[in-house]
Amino acid sequence: MKLNNIVFRRLLQLVSVALGVAVINFFLLRLAPGDAAQVLAGEAGAATPEYMAALRAQFGLDQPLLVQFGKYLLNLAHFNLGFSFRHGMPVAQLIGERVPATLLLMGASILFAVLAGATLGAIAAYRVGKIADVVISTLALLFFATPLFWIGLMLVVVFSVWLDWLPVGGMFTIEAGYTGWAHIVDVARHLVLPAVTLGLFYMAVYTRLMRATMVEVRRQDFVRTAVAKGARPPRVLFAHVLRNALLPLVTMLGVQVSSIIGGAVLVETVFSWPGLGRLAFEALFQRDFNLLLGILLCSSIVVIVVNWVVDFVYTRLDPRIRFA
Amino acid sequence: MSELVSTLALSKAPASLIAAPTARGWFGRLLRSPSALVGGVLLLVVLAMALSSPWLFPGDPLDMVAEPFLHPGVDAAHLLGSDMLGRDLLSGIFHGARVSLLIAVVSTLLALLLGVSGGLLAGYYGGLADAVLMRVTEFFQTIPSFLFALAIVAVVQPTLLTIALAIGVTAWPSLARLVRAEVLKLRHSEMVQASAALGATDLRIMLRDILPNTLTPILVSTSLMVATAILTESSLAFLGLGDPNAVSWGNMVGSGREVIRTDWYITTIPGIAIVVTVLALNLLGDGLADVLDPRDRK
Amino acid sequence: MNNTVWKLLAATAITLAFSANVPAQTRGGTLTAIIQPEPVILTSALNTAAPTGFFSANVFDGLVEYDNDFKLRPALAESWDVSKDSKTLTFHLRKGVKWHDGKPFTSADVKWTLENVWKKFHPRNQIIYGTVTSVDTPDDYTVIIRFSEPSLAVLSSLNSNGAQVLPKHLYEGTDILNNPYNNKPIGTGPFVFKEWSRGNYITLERNPNYWDKSKGVSKPYLDKIIFKVIPDAGSRAAALEKGEAQYAPFSPVPLKDAERLAKLPGLKLETRGYDWISPWLFLDVNVDRAYFKDVRVRQALAYAIDLNAFNKVVWYGFGKPAVSPVVSTLKQFHTDDVPKYGYDPKKAEALLDEAGLKRGADGTRLRINLDYLPYGDDYKRSGEYIKQALKRIGIEVNVRAQDTPTYTKRIYGDRDYDLSVVWFAGFADPLVGVTRAYWSDSIGKNIPWSNGSGYRSTEADKLIEQAQSSASQSERVALFKKLQQRVQTDLPSIPLLELHFFTVQSTNLKDAVSGVDQIYSSLKNAWFDNTAKVAQAAP
Repeated sequence: MKLNNIVFRRLLQLVSVALGVAVINFFLLRLAPGDAAQVLAGEAGAATPEYMAALRAQFGLDQPLLVQFGKYLLNLAHFNLGFSFRHGMPVAQLIGERVPATLLLMGASILFAVLAGATLGAIAAYRVGKIADVVISTLALLFFATPLFWIGLMLVVVFSVWLDWLPVGGMFTIEAGYTGWAHIVDVARHLVLPAVTLGLFYMAVYTRLMRATMVEVRRQDFVRTAVAKGARPPRVLFAHVLRNALLPLVTMLGVQVSSIIGGAVLVETVFSWPGLGRLAFEALFQRDFNLLLGILLCSSIVVIVVNWVVDFVYTRLDPRIRFA
Repeated sequence: MSELVSTLALSKAPASLIAAPTARGWFGRLLRSPSALVGGVLLLVVLAMALSSPWLFPGDPLDMVAEPFLHPGVDAAHLLGSDMLGRDLLSGIFHGARVSLLIAVVSTLLALLLGVSGGLLAGYYGGLADAVLMRVTEFFQTIPSFLFALAIVAVVQPTLLTIALAIGVTAWPSLARLVRAEVLKLRHSEMVQASAALGATDLRIMLRDILPNTLTPILVSTSLMVATAILTESSLAFLGLGDPNAVSWGNMVGSGREVIRTDWYITTIPGIAIVVTVLALNLLGDGLADVLDPRDRK
Repeated sequence: MNNTVWKLLAATAITLAFSANVPAQTRGGTLTAIIQPEPVILTSALNTAAPTGFFSANVFDGLVEYDNDFKLRPALAESWDVSKDSKTLTFHLRKGVKWHDGKPFTSADVKWTLENVWKKFHPRNQIIYGTVTSVDTPDDYTVIIRFSEPSLAVLSSLNSNGAQVLPKHLYEGTDILNNPYNNKPIGTGPFVFKEWSRGNYITLERNPNYWDKSKGVSKPYLDKIIFKVIPDAGSRAAALEKGEAQYAPFSPVPLKDAERLAKLPGLKLETRGYDWISPWLFLDVNVDRAYFKDVRVRQALAYAIDLNAFNKVVWYGFGKPAVSPVVSTLKQFHTDDVPKYGYDPKKAEALLDEAGLKRGADGTRLRINLDYLPYGDDYKRSGEYIKQALKRIGIEVNVRAQDTPTYTKRIYGDRDYDLSVVWFAGFADPLVGVTRAYWSDSIGKNIPWSNGSGYRSTEADKLIEQAQSSASQSERVALFKKLQQRVQTDLPSIPLLELHFFTVQSTNLKDAVSGVDQIYSSLKNAWFDNTAKVAQAAP
């Protein structure tokens, strides 16, 4: 009974967000001068008014605003994301092609950020005030403050051109035509620099967060009690400190997922990674309303789902908390 | 990136219900906090650069005054060298401080205005106001704020004002949630109940009793928001959405990007300026958070 | 007799040895090329954007090909004749050519494409084939095009970019603009389309049945071409440096980087192959603005800009100061005999004073906006340079940034602008590329890349219309020269530079430039000088 309630409310939340996204996207793009027909005509090199009128009719852009919006919502209700006229493909297919690349990039960066951040933060917390702490904290501050694209460009110059350890960009080496295990290794090699670039910033966040919470938690009474009772450090760490310190980390993750998608635009640009971030950026400049909306909707769903997972993990980590 | 506002708040203990710390008390402690000190000093340097630019470097920083691609240290008249159009970099850095800080401050002020009032109203009145705010902030938090700012600037075309507005509009929801959380804690406190019993208006209660006690996270968030705004502005410039009539650090980084292999200093020097400023703001924020955390007072 | 035999044998031996040392084109190898931005559609019959043009010429042949001197060579058309009155154009097509799906290429394909695609959808061809009254195909290999009025400009647009023939059997009766074969094209060209992974790459493979043979061996020499999409300029430079890409056209890297890359041992800059485009960068002046109505003001703008410095500082020498919208490499039509506006800021100020635009108390005569073509940093820097140049003569310029649809709507639709920096392709006949900037027909109709300045001149219009339908090429040349003199006197649009685009390519890629339109032509003649090295280089 209670679970149904929760599920229902979650779904309601999803629907309301989706609606909000649709409205904003629709009207925002309409505010922009020029439309998809204008873009196509511009790219085609020239056009006649008849040609542009024909395009507009084809895209349904010649109808009243509310009618267009209504049609779109109707399509959405049937899970039809529409057609991207600029790419000549259904939006769902376009997005589907790029989703794996995006998930891979995001997953890898988050994994890197969390693992590296948690580890460094823990080390710093256990060596508060000492050299290790100072170095780690300073590094975290620096990575926090440096623009993402700058790091990316520098990494390319250093690791790809000077040292020639890693490829310049793209997702895999097409010329070689690898399959199976070789392909996986190839993709992994291409993934390193973009994932690290995107992850460094969040690693800094998690390092500081982890450090602060661990310092906090270690001072708590229940930890002092455990130590007084003679529990050995590793047990204290894993059973007590880590568990509680992970709470804010997990919450942070939920909050930052959408920010990572935003950062992906920059990283995908620098590394030519064929993901959704860059596609959204291009869709904006191409006035491709259907495509942009499709991507925003998908990213919203990802964020909401991640937050659900985070909430769930939260309750597991802290039995005192229940689903609100 | 505006979610960072929550970072510091989450990592610190919740604000206590005791009245705000005395002025002399915490300022003194601020001075003794190393991170706040370093951050404060750096920030003052940047501010000094910004304010002194019209005197030290009269004239338009966009003027082509030198030979292009002068490396730093080669010409005494142009200590930091010149860029691809022969514009003096040192002048650019000083004037850019003004512009970048201006954009950051304006956007943060906007975010503060919207965020604090939104959070106050939602936390205090609850009910419909709260529900609306929650939905709105939820919506803003699912859309990547950078993408949203990008969309706004792309649609209305980049000028200093539109960039600042776009950044501010995408940054306020996190602050609103923060303020709301704080207000919720104070809502039913004795102090507020007392004021209500004495017949104070809602506005008075919100401004006199509640707001001062929420200052801690707000102050800390402010420095973070300014820092984030600077980073966002430079990212927008990198993607080609800077204001071409103004010299901002982001614009300089963006324009130097194409020659990064041969004349890396054009991108690196303003890049360093950005890093230093953002660092200073973060350190200051850290210091403030340390100092204002009532738990540490023993 | 022994002596003679020995001499003969010796001679033969030497000849044989000699010919063995002459390097023959090596077959094989995969070429990785960079294509930027990613094309929208893969056939130039429907879209004249540069990336599509660069790509599609490998899949589609044209009716003719160009050599390095603007001379025409047979391609799908083996020969052609123009009637005396220039109203009939006959093509004799090559026999035995097959589409990539095996069906035969015939005159029916040409007729169908001309009537249903070129006349209906192709932006440039609509004008030059506009007066076509009938297309006859008396047999499978002959096409007779009859015009109601001569259109000699057709002869300048018969390559794969201007005259791309689509397979009738795959397009007839379909919704042409949405036909799926637009994105998985079937042509007759040297390479066959294999795959398009959006945002990533497009691959082509050798056409084993290609009609063009050399010494009995059919071209192309390359096994495969991979077109990689790399959005970031710095990443493109890095890819070329590392050998991950061996061919990148259309000024793929920042101009400053080009100098650096040219110095590397394995790379070279190629500036040939762009002449057919005849590109010129210019400043459109909105002549409907009150302060620009006086020609002296427009002249002042021209006198205020030092084109030599502009070329050097903004374009790193990849250009040549222009005196006319028809570039000097188009020798047949270009004329130098036009009013010139060299760098003379004093004269500029005098003209402005004369025209009544005096300096105000703060030194400013006029405040205006400048919009630049949002295709990259080069145009932004051009705008910034002009802003500074005009500042010196007292004109305050506010540079505006925007994206492409906003830009085209503003300049060609709303005409809500003062100055605009942009470049057009003039192509091989001024009617095709240059006249659109001056013809009054298209003003304000929101047609991108047309008459942006708003110039209305009955004389210019008449010259253009006469040149369009003239039956004599020499008469057309004279008309175009007159047009250049007219527009350079009226100066609604100020030509700035003849742009020199460049290609960055590996030094071991040979014969990559076969004609003045190489950028829009195929790579069928290209080959790697050392196939073993290439095989090792693939990471």
